[in-house]
Amino acid sequence: MFIRPDNWNQMSPLERRKARLDAWQNAPVPFINPQAEANYKERIERLRKIYDMEPHDRPIADPFMGANEYIVRRKGINGKDMVYNHEKLREPLLEFHNEFQPDTSAMPLPYPGKVMDMLDYKSYIWGGQKLPDNLTIQAVEGEYMTGDEYKEFAADPTNFWMKKYLPRVMPTLAPLAMLTEFPRVSENVDIIDLMVPFGLPPFQAMLKTLMEAGDELMKMLAIVGQTGAMIAGAGFPGMGFNIVKTPFDYLGDTVRGTKGILTDMYRRPNDLLAACEAYVPVLINAVISASDRNGAPCALYVLHKGADGFMSQAQFEKFYWSTWKQVMLALYEEGITSYLFIEGSYNNRLENLAQMPEKSLVCHFDKTDMRRVKEVLSDKFIIAGNVPASLMTAGTVDEVRAYCADLVELFEGSSYIMTHGCYFENTTDEKLRAFIDSVKK
Amino acid sequence: MSKELIDAIVDMREEDAVKITAQLLDGGTDPLVVLDACREAMGVIGMRFETGESFISELILAGEILSQISAIVKPRIQKGGAEKKIGKVILGTVQGDIHDIAKDIVGFMLDVNGFEVTNLGVDVPPAKFVEAVKSSGAKIVGLSGFLTLAFDPMKDTVAAIKAAGLNEVKIMIGGGQIDENIRQYTGADAYGKDAMAAVALAKSWS
Ligand code: B12
Repeated sequence: MFIRPDNWNQMSPLERRKARLDAWQNAPVPFINPQAEANYKERIERLRKIYDMEPHDRPIADPFMGANEYIVRRKGINGKDMVYNHEKLREPLLEFHNEFQPDTSAMPLPYPGKVMDMLDYKSYIWGGQKLPDNLTIQAVEGEYMTGDEYKEFAADPTNFWMKKYLPRVMPTLAPLAMLTEFPRVSENVDIIDLMVPFGLPPFQAMLKTLMEAGDELMKMLAIVGQTGAMIAGAGFPGMGFNIVKTPFDYLGDTVRGTKGILTDMYRRPNDLLAACEAYVPVLINAVISASDRNGAPCALYVLHKGADGFMSQAQFEKFYWSTWKQVMLALYEEGITSYLFIEGSYNNRLENLAQMPEKSLVCHFDKTDMRRVKEVLSDKFIIAGNVPASLMTAGTVDEVRAYCADLVELFEGSSYIMTHGCYFENTTDEKLRAFIDSVKK
Repeated sequence: MSKELIDAIVDMREEDAVKITAQLLDGGTDPLVVLDACREAMGVIGMRFETGESFISELILAGEILSQISAIVKPRIQKGGAEKKIGKVILGTVQGDIHDIAKDIVGFMLDVNGFEVTNLGVDVPPAKFVEAVKSSGAKIVGLSGFLTLAFDPMKDTVAAIKAAGLNEVKIMIGGGQIDENIRQYTGADAYGKDAMAAVALAKSWS
């Protein structure tokens, strides 16, 4: 939990950022021994200097984004285990950190398999459910909001999400649609409308299922939380994220689909823009309260449909960037750093990113030209990327070593985090070690 | 009028394009002339894509405009005007992968450049590629894939085509994480970085 200092209102954005990073850096960790504690402090200090863009001894290599699956798969863990058997991941994860001594901690995302089953979740399929056991989890696009519903969404995003989107994508939650409009609960008799659903069998059945699902979730979180604490306790700091997306990607990924949203730019531009605008305050609130709750100093954006080629530069600026920028600037004001995981290539968008204030961004690239990144962005922001998944999968150890060495050389003097361009399932221990050790002197 | 239709499509004025099509047909224009206009418009859009002036958003919308127009035009065509094609290409996204946007763009560009494209869709198993090559007699196969999990199905598909004795068939691969490393890994004949590369490869093999 992050507690604001008393003089928060007088603090500048960078002072607030410092306060959040201080709290994250000094959060209590149950160290297993003094050596682990010393290692943790050295690692987090280096990462902190990188976040602060201050001189430091060397870049770090972060295996999380690329290798988070491989590090358990190498010990025979499969996709189904990652979704359902979280306790099975603990040993392999501790072993990996011990053996490879990475600069940061890494683990697969905590997919709540049993809970997803209980909610009858539609927008993904996963191992042990509809995918074979060796696969983890995959998105399936659907149209969960019709083009005609944009206006309804923009008028009240929360209400739309609760009563239309959630019931469609998680049929267990269908009874939510029975709820009244909350802001009209005012007079004593309005309590009747507020409470009626709670007395009806379908709603009560839903509540019962949700309580059971909640119990399952708590069990899983206890296991995953314990594993995380053990990894930290063994000397490995995490990067500190809350996941978020841009307004355009929330609409595109979640309710309209890739083809749907890209054609909406022509068919209903004003509705689309109004919906993106409506998202802005919702996201700002959501990220600030998550960061306050769990103390993470960064918001991690997974960026999809604004990449080069998806839309023209004019469309990018109008539909994608304008509302996204508002969110990032508001978070910056609150001292929260935006970590951008930029999928695909962003060669045409670097100048847009360059408009953001100094230290407001960590830019993690996949296919973007890293030489231009160095030129255009590395004075202002922390840079991460971009060892290819293809190299980790099908390249040789020497090729991995050479690619990493090039990056280290290129970003000499910058604040740089060695990462992969995207994740992969298969590599070898030797290649992963070459990656992790590439930054060590 | 044909010119107006071409402009409407190229400028992404969807409703106008459909309206003009109806007006043309009602005014007695030969349906084949309408289709020619569409082809010309798609050629312009394809050219702009090549030079980086057109984007996925436009190609998708153009595809949708085109299918609305063909729905109006097709029933009025007596006999299919057989245009001459340079060659046949079998195209699909490999097994386990459902990313189809890039594959459809590759199909679109091959089509406007004069190839007859059989699009097998997504999550296509190796046997289905083999079957399609055999039944069509195509000499070119394009495999698309975006997942690292697609590397092995690509390799299996290349192997299945070779195992079926279709040794004269040329295979190109492409998609997000695919590069020269993966070409070697899969044993494909070539890797194409974008849809223009797909066209160049197909032309060099025809
Ligand atoms: C859109 C998208 C989706 C959409 C797909 C919608 C659709 N109908 O296609 C949805 C949401 C469904 C999706 C799902 C998933 N996705 Co996805 N997706 C993307 C995204 C954002 C864009 C891909 C795209 O369409 N690009 C547009 C095309 C046009 O770009 P392009 O590459 O420049 O295209 C050219 C070339 O590739 C070439 N080309 C393509 N095919 C061919 C073929 C030949 C023969 C030739 C010569 C050339 C060629 O020509 C094209 C045109 O010029 C990428 C990230 C990214 N930006 O790359 C992730 C990405 C590909 N997805 C990824 C993942 C992991 C998934 C999921 C597993 C996600 C999940 N955890 O749920 C599922 C998998 C589903 C499945 N079984 O396939 C990862 C893959 C990582 C990996 N190691 O495998 C990526 C890289 C994201 C990431 N960084 O993690 N995804």
